[in-house]
Amino acid sequence: MKDISASGSELAREDHGPAAKNVSNVPVPSRASSLPRGGRKGDFMKTRMLLPGETGRFASTLSWIILLLAVMPILTMIVMSFSGASNLDFPPASYSLKWYQAAWHTFVSPDSSDVLSLGKALSTSLWVSCLTMILATLVAVPASYALTRCEFRGKAVALQLMSLPLVFPMVVLGLALLLIFDSLPFHLDVSRLVIAHVILALPFVVKNCTAAMVSIGSEVEEAAQMLGASPTRAIIDVVVPLMKSGILAGMLLAFIVSFNEFTVTYFLYNIDVMTVPIWMYSRTVSSLDPTVFSFAVLIVLIDFALIWALEKLVGEGGVSF
Amino acid sequence: MRSSSPKRSSPTLRAWLFLTPSLLFLAVLIAASLLVLRMSVGTKGAEWSGFSLASYAQLLQPYYLKSLLLTLRLALISALIAVLLAIPVGYTMARLQSPLLRRIFLAAVLLPLLVNLLLQSYGWLVILGPAGMLNQALKGLGLITRPVMMLYNENGVLMGLVQTAFPLAVLPIASAMRGVSRSYEEAAATLGASRFQVFRQVILPMSLPGIVTGATLVFAYNASSFVVPLLLGGRRVPMLAVMVHDQIAPLMNWPAASAAGVVLIVTTLAIMTLSELFTGRRRRRLEASQ
Repeated sequence: MKDISASGSELAREDHGPAAKNVSNVPVPSRASSLPRGGRKGDFMKTRMLLPGETGRFASTLSWIILLLAVMPILTMIVMSFSGASNLDFPPASYSLKWYQAAWHTFVSPDSSDVLSLGKALSTSLWVSCLTMILATLVAVPASYALTRCEFRGKAVALQLMSLPLVFPMVVLGLALLLIFDSLPFHLDVSRLVIAHVILALPFVVKNCTAAMVSIGSEVEEAAQMLGASPTRAIIDVVVPLMKSGILAGMLLAFIVSFNEFTVTYFLYNIDVMTVPIWMYSRTVSSLDPTVFSFAVLIVLIDFALIWALEKLVGEGGVSF
Repeated sequence: MRSSSPKRSSPTLRAWLFLTPSLLFLAVLIAASLLVLRMSVGTKGAEWSGFSLASYAQLLQPYYLKSLLLTLRLALISALIAVLLAIPVGYTMARLQSPLLRRIFLAAVLLPLLVNLLLQSYGWLVILGPAGMLNQALKGLGLITRPVMMLYNENGVLMGLVQTAFPLAVLPIASAMRGVSRSYEEAAATLGASRFQVFRQVILPMSLPGIVTGATLVFAYNASSFVVPLLLGGRRVPMLAVMVHDQIAPLMNWPAASAAGVVLIVTTLAIMTLSELFTGRRRRRLEASQ
């Protein structure tokens, strides 16, 4: 996530972000100009020589294999969801859609034995994720404005604080929030999950908004102010629309983080407020039921679509963590 | 920066005003850690009023000490493996040309990080189970005759730890390697360095801060890993985070859970600070030399 250690030096480095991007484009013309030389060599050696800075076939094959291994658990799960057998042997003896039917059945007519229906868990999950997304964005945009445009005392501390949730042990966060919420005189429902998820999502949103804001020169804002806009109007009408894609990326990330969060929620959930991951865990705690794989495939599809949209929004390599 | 000059109000005040909403949430986090610290020196039954170091003394008992060492060992080994695997992946990612391939590549890197750990652990259960994919493959290759037990021991947990934390190593390494201008590689190649020499003597040293950051993140993330040891280790691989939960759920021993939590926080913050010191110094030196 976390190229993260958003320390002062890290962010200072990111100030050069757009400039560095331009620099990395510079070799392109120089490569083009060196192509004739490469072409001549090609005549001698039949195969095209790799230019310095291009990945060799060995390295790129190796990395695709490693990546394949990294997504192997997810792929395995997708294959297993089409299994026709009821055990976990891999590869499955036969293929069928029966687990999808069973999953659909669970969804539309929940067993009375289930403590909570999937539908309720799903709506809680979506509700929590949307609230987290909106709240995290609302607090992160002003924060990232302060972190990019203002020089102030304590900036280094503020930067460190913003990235703290990334490295903070989640179990401890869950434990501590449970302590706090249980000692409060009043009862919190969904908001206890939302507060926890906003804390977890904050570094992602701040990082993406900061990256988007760095690439907007402060001169547009100055121009707006010179034309008579108040500083606040200049931010709302000029800066925020310009950094829209960065904000949207942050929002999507916040949604993904919240939708997939398990550890902290595991400490905080109760019978009334249960998210999809918790529902799945409570279903599989005694034995692994293949219907879970069909739900899992749906969740992975949602995640993949969101990640794909995220990359489209900010351009490849532009997602900041 | 320049933009702060036309503002009337004090820039510091204004900046902190903008930071306030997010700091409110972070204040919850800090209050939470202070509460855990307080409770760790409480006694069972009198968590808020008692004072004793018994919970910390308990952590020195062989069972808990073993758990602590196991946690540190698994976190360290997984960090080393993840970084070794992440170096070629990060390099390829930094140098990919085709936009479509880059998007697929980044999506594949992000998936293990963002998809629910629970679901990925289910996938691992299928891969590592007695009749699972890995055992079938090994049997097919004639390497084993009877299924090897890979679930509910350290090896299975280690594999899960490496896989789920792997993106944390790739992203900083790729970003550091993207920062190494290709002209350095071209210069080294012009001077007669082989491709491997360029990689080993130019790219690796120049992206060292990213590599250290990646290793640190994987270490910190895995030291407090909860889902992976819970599902892949059963109760046989008691990593510290699982113990924190066990102290609460069946035992209701809040001080003991808090003390273990404090150990986790201290370990994480110490390792992050060390890495920050190292990469900060290294980065300044790199910048000075450029």
